[in-house]
Amino acid sequence: MGLVAGALALWLTLPGEAAPEAGAKATIERVVAQALEVLGDASLSESDKQQKIEQIARERFDFPRITKLVLGHNYKKLSEPQREQFLVEFRRHLSLTYGRRLRRFSDEKVEVGGVLRHPNGDVTVRTVFAAGDANGIGMDYRMRERDGEWYAIDLVIEGVSMISNFRSQVQEIVSSKGADGLIDTLRKKNDKGSLTEPS
Amino acid sequence: MRRPSAALLGVATVLWLGAAPALAQEAGENDPLEPFNRGVFWVNDRLDRYFLEPIATGWEVISPEFVRVRIDKFLTNLRFPVRFFSNLCQLKLRQTGAETGRFIVNTTAGIAGFFDPATRFGIGFYDEDFGQALGYWGTPAGPYLVLPIIGPSSPRDAVGWGMDWVLLLGPTQLSATAGVVIGGTNMVNSRAMALEDVREAKAAALDYYVLVRNGYIQLREAKNRDGEVDPDEPTESLYDFDIDEEIEE
Repeated sequence: MGLVAGALALWLTLPGEAAPEAGAKATIERVVAQALEVLGDASLSESDKQQKIEQIARERFDFPRITKLVLGHNYKKLSEPQREQFLVEFRRHLSLTYGRRLRRFSDEKVEVGGVLRHPNGDVTVRTVFAAGDANGIGMDYRMRERDGEWYAIDLVIEGVSMISNFRSQVQEIVSSKGADGLIDTLRKKNDKGSLTEPS
Repeated sequence: MRRPSAALLGVATVLWLGAAPALAQEAGENDPLEPFNRGVFWVNDRLDRYFLEPIATGWEVISPEFVRVRIDKFLTNLRFPVRFFSNLCQLKLRQTGAETGRFIVNTTAGIAGFFDPATRFGIGFYDEDFGQALGYWGTPAGPYLVLPIIGPSSPRDAVGWGMDWVLLLGPTQLSATAGVVIGGTNMVNSRAMALEDVREAKAAALDYYVLVRNGYIQLREAKNRDGEVDPDEPTESLYDFDIDEEIEE
């Protein structure tokens, strides 16, 4: 582990890292540091932690774009009010599922590793959990620049893209139940999820 | 194999299925067998809910986590022949060597594999299987295929699974009975370790069948790439198709 950390440190200090990648990487390093600080703060209640993490996520994830990407070609099928409703319910869904899961994390360490630039300008920042239950699990952030700032548009965990995974489920539901069915399914799931909210 | 010709025919058919042209993947994955797959998936889910999950839950309640982790390490160590052969087949010699070292260290210093000093010593873990080896040599995965009990798979991975099974029974000289006992222990212990994850996945899913299908396909593709990300891989269909333009039409 020490060898890996040492190699990483050396790599990080190498000159010649092009500016865009460095910006994206620095953004992720900040986000990760902030999030880990919140999670490790014993004085905060679990719901406080969740709220703070969601605040960080709201600032750093481009939710409008993520919603569009998740809807994919079905975006056209939704009216403007339906798109609004979907965004609200989708965000609620993420909070109830992933946000809730964060409560289990407390002693995680994350190593921010390589950065890759894609032809369309996006940057993938690779991270790995280095301690705790999630030790060894890789988490990649796909970042896109907007007005000089970097925002995450996808989370790829062990090679599984969240956008791809959600989109295929959305596609399935829209084909079988239509746009209203999609929002309805989401809302029902969220209502049920918030009922089992642990204290 | 008592009837080599039948077995060969079976393998050939499965591989041919895998070579069948991929269907249009506009929005969904390659799942031309969806009605069949959903049926098997449903049966597997019932078997899990009524048999495996309750047993695994019971096991989780009566066993200390320490014991479950030991068993998991032991079983992982036993899979060495699969990893050895699969790494070797892909000519990943450094990894083959590392896996061999890992096996020796964990079997001796790690007391028959119950402990994992190899990881502490920094020896890598290269979780290859024969399905990945087939992929390495260009075998296409083929359509998504849900197998009874085994679960999400593909023609290529099914053949791989079969080969792994042969590798585990053969070189380790395990009798079929021992194989069944170890297989059963593996199923219950692994299921016990995954109880919370499965519950969360089911709660998070809008369509659990699709969640598993998409997750499995992406996971296998990532494993075939050994977790590498190719930055130049075209991603228009996922990240770039311009929705804004589409609406303006």
